[in-house]
Amino acid sequence: MRKIAVLYSGSAHQHRSFTDPRFAPYIVDLIYLPRMTEYDLDAYDVLIVPSQLHQGQVTAHNKRLHDFLAQGKTIVALGAQNQSWFPAHNWEARPVNFWWWREKDARSGLELHQPDHDLFRYITLEDATWHYHGVFFPDGDVETLIKLENDGAILYIDKVNTPGTLIMTTLDPEYHYGSYFMPATERFLNGFIPWLATGTL
Amino acid sequence: MSPFTQQSADYLLLDSGAAFSGTSVHSGQADSMTKVLDQYDLVSYDLENANHKILVIDEFIDQELMVEQKDKIKAFLDRGNIVFFAGHLFREWIPGASMFVPKTVTSYLDYVVTILDHPIFDGVKSEDITYNRGVAGFFSRGHHPMPEGAEVLLELPGGVPITYIDRTSTRGTILLHAGRNLLKSRETGNSSGRIREQLYKWLIEEHAAIRMREVRA
Repeated sequence: MRKIAVLYSGSAHQHRSFTDPRFAPYIVDLIYLPRMTEYDLDAYDVLIVPSQLHQGQVTAHNKRLHDFLAQGKTIVALGAQNQSWFPAHNWEARPVNFWWWREKDARSGLELHQPDHDLFRYITLEDATWHYHGVFFPDGDVETLIKLENDGAILYIDKVNTPGTLIMTTLDPEYHYGSYFMPATERFLNGFIPWLATGTL
Repeated sequence: MSPFTQQSADYLLLDSGAAFSGTSVHSGQADSMTKVLDQYDLVSYDLENANHKILVIDEFIDQELMVEQKDKIKAFLDRGNIVFFAGHLFREWIPGASMFVPKTVTSYLDYVVTILDHPIFDGVKSEDITYNRGVAGFFSRGHHPMPEGAEVLLELPGGVPITYIDRTSTRGTILLHAGRNLLKSRETGNSSGRIREQLYKWLIEEHAAIRMREVRA
């Protein structure tokens, strides 16, 4: 099982999501971001970078994240990427529609791009379907797993733009699950976190 | 009259620095009544000698940090000031407050808000805060059990207090809301739009009332 650590800014939703008894067994450490220098990242294989961290502190520690990738390890970035912490994702914001599922002939617009990928032994497209805040147009030969119809990527795996593996998704399941909102986010984490621990990335 | 300085702003708003603080902290017009302070700068900030009346803290706050700063928070309250926290508590740093309890939800009706008589919610209709374009659950999904003597303002079904005022745990006033920062609520075009201004007005009036309370005591 891969050793997973999570960057942590002490907020309620992060605490709930990453100490939940169903997910905690997969998580070795919550790395409290204000004291990040006290942690030895060599101890971990996968680092999750949640969506609502203190942005200035992530920027300040960005070199350590890149050193982690340089060792061939895996970083998982959740949510919008308004900052340039990670290369080549070419994030673009999209208007958020919380209500798409209430509309006539409701379609989220999300589609599987590589249905045979190992991730989809753990989650279904439905588990990844709620509102999104934007899309990526990643450079290079990356593996796009979920995309928006006629638009950019919602979730992709990048093994070409850094020496490591960068798993990028515009989805922010840890925020919504941790805030007790949106059932699909729970199903997503139920599959996604075990996949990070034991699946084929 | 002394010239306006940020240290004399009535409101001190702690900024979590999260991406979503773009809306929870910075939305709305520039506001000369509010000083925005990065949460980690609170450690070295001279709260005692600044003249802030109301400390505003939202759902993204670092509660590990707030535990370390809890004496500062309590001292601010005991000087006759107000703390308004909107979010879910999982650490003990607000005097008298209990940890957040999520509501067990079996139907959207579990989210229906009952509004009790209070100036902050005067003229606000239950349906306008319960539903957002027909969807319930945006407003509040649980509660903090109330300390003895607290005044409940809003409830979920079953008498679950999602918003309360506590004037007994400290010499100041605590307003605790298990939801979003109501001072930064988005314009909705319905009666929920009244909350923001009524809350601003109530906070200033309450601060003056605390002073009167002290005089009487």
